[in-house]
Amino acid sequence: MTIHSLYIYDRHCNCVYYQDWNRSRRPKPAVEGGGILPGVSRAVAPTIGTAAGNCEASRDSFAPNSGVVIAVNDEHANGPDMQGAPQPGQTSTGLPFDEEAKLVYGVVLSLRNMARKLSGRENELFVNYRTSAYKLHVYETQSGYKFVMLGDPAGDSLRFILRQIYIGPFLEYVVRNPLMTMDSRERGIDNEYFRASIDRLVRGLSVFP
Amino acid sequence: MAIFGLWVINKAGGLVYQRNFADGLAQLTSNEYLVLAGTLHGIHAITSRLSPIGGPSSGAQVIEGESFKMTILLTATGTKFVLLTSLAETSAEIVLQKVYEVYADAVMKNPFHTPEMPIRSEGFDVRIGTLIGDGRTG
Repeated sequence: MTIHSLYIYDRHCNCVYYQDWNRSRRPKPAVEGGGILPGVSRAVAPTIGTAAGNCEASRDSFAPNSGVVIAVNDEHANGPDMQGAPQPGQTSTGLPFDEEAKLVYGVVLSLRNMARKLSGRENELFVNYRTSAYKLHVYETQSGYKFVMLGDPAGDSLRFILRQIYIGPFLEYVVRNPLMTMDSRERGIDNEYFRASIDRLVRGLSVFP
Repeated sequence: MAIFGLWVINKAGGLVYQRNFADGLAQLTSNEYLVLAGTLHGIHAITSRLSPIGGPSSGAQVIEGESFKMTILLTATGTKFVLLTSLAETSAEIVLQKVYEVYADAVMKNPFHTPEMPIRSEGFDVRIGTLIGDGRTG
């Protein structure tokens, strides 16, 4: 049992947040101009230079790019690189992160539409799918945010965890944060408290090794 | 527990067989089923590439909604058998294996069948009918 990664999408199809744990096969860093918003994840951001440049203005006390705190899981996950050669024991999916994020969203959206069409009910939800290597879980909020989590194929539903992330860290550090522009379409959720709090929540789970 | 429907998708993503059993899902037109089968074929290919861990991954094997699930059997030749069932249905994998056997016997051994084309074989219809019946499985 384990948890591999978490994606959060807003209602405009943008990936606003990404974090991973125990991921032995990772995407390549996103290419610049690939459509990934700044601040989604340090581990897969295109280049440090551009990110620091264009978000200078929007930073206040939550200055996440100032270098004080690096994305919490990055240190033990695979150090500060990711730009360089993959670590031993890690392979690459061969996909840049921006492509991967779009594929995940595409699959989730297509399956949701398929479930609605097949059942004939407008409110039918797509819940999860399983392959031989992983299981993908989806939780969609009324406001159109989609929380997507990849975990162990044999595991039970992780929707309650996604809901916990929504009613806990997400409401606390994103929705109730006056410095956060919701629905901005320009920045991801770049908030160290949010990142740390999700990390704590996930690492404290019984399903986490 | 119920079996709602069975699809057979050829290796190019075309729907070659579709049959409904128990009620519970929407009744769609054959065109809509064709579109959904094509979509599923594409999704299936993508899902095998999204694996977060090393080693090969199959495509999606089970897709769950709130009120039904789809179980997918991919054969070595690329044909997909899809069974739409209720969530509580536990025999989906076994039924699919049996469907595959019936397909081998009644479709592949039929000299008048053109591979990759829609299945129009009474023998297959009858044997699927005896296997699944009206889709109610206790």
